Amino acid sequence: MGALRRIATIAHHTFKESVRERVLYNLIVFALLLMGAAILFGSISVGIEQVILVNLGLSSISVFGVLMAIFIGIGLVSKEIERRTLYNILSKPVSRPEFLLGKYCGLLLTLVINTAIMTGGFYLALLYQKRHLEFADLLALEAVYFILLQLALVVGLALLFSCISTPILSAVFTFSVYVIGNFLGDIRWFGQETHSPGVEKLTGVLYYLLPNFSNFNVITRVAHGLAIPGYLLWSNTLYALLYVSILLSGAILIFEEREFR
Amino acid sequence: MSIGSERRRARFAVWGLLLVSVGGVYTVQQARDRHTARLGEMSEVLYIPSGRVLRYLSLGQEGLMADLYWTRVVQYFGRKRLAQAVRFDLLGPLLSIATELDPHLLVAYRYGAVFLAEKLPDGAGQPEAALQLLRRGIVANPDEWRMWVDLGFIYYWDLKDYASAVRVFRAGSERPGAKMWVRTLTASVAAKGGELETSRLLWSEIYRNADNDQIRHSAQEHLVALTAQEEISGLNDVLDAYARQFGQRARSLSDLLGAGYLRVVPQDPSGVAYVVGADGRTRLAPESKVDLKLLQ
Repeated sequence: MGALRRIATIAHHTFKESVRERVLYNLIVFALLLMGAAILFGSISVGIEQVILVNLGLSSISVFGVLMAIFIGIGLVSKEIERRTLYNILSKPVSRPEFLLGKYCGLLLTLVINTAIMTGGFYLALLYQKRHLEFADLLALEAVYFILLQLALVVGLALLFSCISTPILSAVFTFSVYVIGNFLGDIRWFGQETHSPGVEKLTGVLYYLLPNFSNFNVITRVAHGLAIPGYLLWSNTLYALLYVSILLSGAILIFEEREFR
Repeated sequence: MSIGSERRRARFAVWGLLLVSVGGVYTVQQARDRHTARLGEMSEVLYIPSGRVLRYLSLGQEGLMADLYWTRVVQYFGRKRLAQAVRFDLLGPLLSIATELDPHLLVAYRYGAVFLAEKLPDGAGQPEAALQLLRRGIVANPDEWRMWVDLGFIYYWDLKDYASAVRVFRAGSERPGAKMWVRTLTASVAAKGGELETSRLLWSEIYRNADNDQIRHSAQEHLVALTAQEEISGLNDVLDAYARQFGQRARSLSDLLGAGYLRVVPQDPSGVAYVVGADGRTRLAPESKVDLKLLQ
């Protein structure tokens, strides 16, 4: 119970610190503006006004969520080292794993609240366009849930990299893995097409080793009002939980070995 | 227990969690792949480089990119129409990209096919490209009956290929959710294309399955017209045989009766006798209630 309380305290402070970041508000405002623009954009197209709004709205939530996760996530550990506040924290009865888990949960909470705000903006835009909301519109919430799972992975990656590298490099690494993670299926297919056992094996290993972000991409489906199969809900949830466990375990093992001077 | 051994145990636990999670991720991903057969979908898309490159650039937001490309199609086509252009070179490629990025973007297939098929200067005058676009749309959305109808209309209006139109309309009418009018349309097009047997078959089916009296009545009228059309065709054959035998055309059906070609003067389905017109061909009498225009 003591450990949980300590993690919660660090998470609470991380959340408070995160909401003070100016970049966060810039990104939220920009995302909400983009959703508003979707209404205008839809009006100059034919037949897909709502599809555009859903695509642009959910994509904004996803892209800006990832940017927030990276920009704030990479500073989680490095800022504490830079400001030397880490020494104060670790000199108290707080273990390093508790510190990392608290940081992770704090940023995740920030992202959940930001995503909720952006989702609210998205539904307001939808309401403005359709003049009413219906039960089928709730389908977008499933896509939002998958975006949150994706963000949980991105925060984990940013935290892992921030334990081993500088903030700038951590941002580059995290973003690169995010991009590669969107094309893992293609990478594996490419390996199979080369008909080279070595390349095929390598791409196969990469396919399972790196986080598969394309698993969570259901925005296009939702934009067309197509239901999300039940197995996606459980498999994606389980996948995200397991992968976050890997990232946090890795971060803890590295952070435990790290020496601070 | 010392702090050192406690830390060691914690580290073992973290390692254990890490290894279990790695195994779990592998298992879940495999289970997921079995469901989605993702690699199969991927290879289809990768055959076309332009769509592939854009999909890479979209960073997983291919739906949004497809919307952008469809909007570009609309803007491009609108500008060209206003300028009375005679070339629409980018129309086909833009539509391909939009539909490759989002294979479920039905409007892109349906409106796009109209843009492509319309004759110049109202459209690009490329009905074959429209057929290809719609065929791709049908492969990606096989249960969308409207796309079959759109495809049929390209054959019907633009290519005047009634046999293909009937085949496609008929396939569309059998898709789930297809409206009854698709069947009536199929039957009408079959009659217009001279496929009277097919038309009769379809109208009979419509008559049997009609869910309201209006459609049933319409089907009956079409069946009556088809019967009359077939009888007129048969009588014309007899008139030709008469002309061959006697060296001149019969002036009335009584001539055929006298020559032994007929036993009675035939009547149309409304009970009025057929007549021979000034051109020597069989016609409906003016007082006949049969409407042959239904078959045109």
